[in-house]
Amino acid sequence: MLVDLLFTCFAVFSVLGALGLIIFRHPMNGAMSFLVTLVSLAGLYALLSAKLLFALQLIVYAGAIMSLVVFVIMFLNIQPDQLPAEKTKITYLVAGGVAVTPVAFFLLKVVNRLPNMPVSFADEGFGGVKEVGLIFFREWLVPFEIVSILLLTALVGAVVLAGKREKNK
Amino acid sequence: MIHDYLVLSVILFCLGVVGVFARRNFFTVFMSVELMLNASNLAFIAFARLQQNMDGHVLALLIMAVAAAEAALALAVVILLHKQTGKLDTNVFSLLKG
Repeated sequence: MLVDLLFTCFAVFSVLGALGLIIFRHPMNGAMSFLVTLVSLAGLYALLSAKLLFALQLIVYAGAIMSLVVFVIMFLNIQPDQLPAEKTKITYLVAGGVAVTPVAFFLLKVVNRLPNMPVSFADEGFGGVKEVGLIFFREWLVPFEIVSILLLTALVGAVVLAGKREKNK
Repeated sequence: MIHDYLVLSVILFCLGVVGVFARRNFFTVFMSVELMLNASNLAFIAFARLQQNMDGHVLALLIMAVAAAEAALALAVVILLHKQTGKLDTNVFSLLKG
């Protein structure tokens, strides 16, 4: 009972946050609204017994990545006249919605073909740090290493791109 | 029911697609892409719960790492373009053409 109530709350909040993201004009308002989506998604992960992902969604996504985005938005000190005019925003939003509807119907049909089950509390240890870590480092070791190389490349690339450079030699 | 989570993930994904399609402000487009990644994360975790199998959690972790790398690089490019042009329009990305 409580689980259903919590799911409804989190689902409504996440959809409202996403709507705010695509409707608000200033990116700062959009970022704050997206933060609501991220936090309610963390709640949904907790309802699905994904304890590690719940913590990481809050710490890494809502904490680190979004604070990086908000930091850059504040760093650029965006004035309203710098934003693109977007006079036809409503038209494009409606057109995008119409264009995406068939895809959504297809995906919903696919979902309906899948087996269904009520969500209850999973077995002890499902989704904990130890269990996910064991799978991660035993069966997914190569993707883990590739992702570490990707992060290193992104770090070096960001420093090279955004850092100061000497005048043309 | 697990279907509700999957339907929510479809809705969030479609909202992300509409955001990318309809908006021209760079930051909004970027966060719409993140919204799509998050919707796929939700689907992975719902499937992991359905199958009682934690591989979906690992994939969601990998997606988070990719999103972090994407954020770092994309924001660096945006700072450069904003210095160059003073605009936040996705159209200024045509400057990146060789």
